[in-house]
Amino acid sequence: MAGDGTSPRAVGAVVANDLMSDVLLHDADDILLLTSLASDQAIRTAHIVGAMGVVVHNAKPLSETMIKVANDLGIPLVSSPLSKYDACVRLHDAFLAEERA
Amino acid sequence: MGEYNPTILQGQHTNDDEILAKTPLDPKALGGDSSVIIMELLQRFKVRDVMKRQVISISRTATLREAQAIMRENRISGLPVSENGRLYGLVSVNDIINGLDGGWMSDACEDHMATNLVVLEAGMPLAFALRYFNNYTYGRFPVLDSNRQLVGIISQRDVMRALLYELSVEIRKLERKTRGGHEQEDQSKEHYFRREWAVVRNDLSRAGHAANDIKGLLRERKIDRTVVRRVAVAAYELEINICIHSHGGVMVLLITDETVTITAKDRGPGIPDIEWACRDGTSTANDWIRSLGFGAGMGLSNSKRVSDEFDIQSEVGKFTKVQCVFRIPKTGN
Repeated sequence: MAGDGTSPRAVGAVVANDLMSDVLLHDADDILLLTSLASDQAIRTAHIVGAMGVVVHNAKPLSETMIKVANDLGIPLVSSPLSKYDACVRLHDAFLAEERA
Repeated sequence: MGEYNPTILQGQHTNDDEILAKTPLDPKALGGDSSVIIMELLQRFKVRDVMKRQVISISRTATLREAQAIMRENRISGLPVSENGRLYGLVSVNDIINGLDGGWMSDACEDHMATNLVVLEAGMPLAFALRYFNNYTYGRFPVLDSNRQLVGIISQRDVMRALLYELSVEIRKLERKTRGGHEQEDQSKEHYFRREWAVVRNDLSRAGHAANDIKGLLRERKIDRTVVRRVAVAAYELEINICIHSHGGVMVLLITDETVTITAKDRGPGIPDIEWACRDGTSTANDWIRSLGFGAGMGLSNSKRVSDEFDIQSEVGKFTKVQCVFRIPKTGN
């Protein structure tokens, strides 16, 4: 939804959380934030922790301001129709597949 | 009065300006050319970084006499006429003089204010703003955001003051480079960078913008990555606190050679039990705030945890002030 998708970066860790205070506790590099919080705050929090992207699950509608903030701060923003659990499973499977490769 | 239709100056980009904005600020590459450094600073900063956010204004129906009193008390020569963030016009000293001469000081401001205004957009680089200062004789320009809301007012003095701070930072860097990196900077306390952001109560669309800016500023200055992270987290938590718990306030960033300090100050309502507030998981947030993802009760404890020094003062009904200090590690060569 935002970001030009031309410079791929590796995901270091996935943080699946809807409480932005908890997200702020994470110290890893290149976090991918997976959340159902479809608000500007998810983007701003992602920027604060240096996350490399935000995925909003359950196909929640993303507001125009959220997309604008994501573009302004340079944070790739993705919408997913999956539930949080299914999205986590899918990401975990992808990690395992990469490790095996 | 006629249809309100101000001239909003947005500044057309030219190729040169874009190239300049992308050029890194490398004194060696620029040959230590101070005029190019100034141009770079003028491109980097926007009108919103430098403008006064507390706009003294008057309503349309107030009288010219009241306008005169406000202008005299505050020593300003131009008074924006605005209500609820909408700008309707401007009363100037000339309008007052004409009013005194013509005997219509009891008339409403809207009957005599100027409505063909030149205003600046908050996101415009200072380089453009300065050109318009030169082209027009007005001392001040009202500033509108992209929603045409009045968000500030800017004068040439505001611009010069900000430039002086930034220039002193750049000059110190240049001096240090030419002297060699090992010498101790004994005047480290004198040299500082300071910026303020207004935080509006319950303005959740903007909540966190100061913290995002602060993080960007620290990264630009190539401050240690872990320090930047900790400062950003504290700034964000404190800014959200001002937004959701207080009547509104300011975030202040202060950078010296050795420390970064974040101060969050609000206008109330104050914290009755500071010790309770600083505990993990305690929060006075209501359901609406929690539904937006806040109110976990970790704000103050998170800020305390990540900072090197933490101080909180509060008086019920008056204010709350939180200050976090972060030490910048000395880089060995």
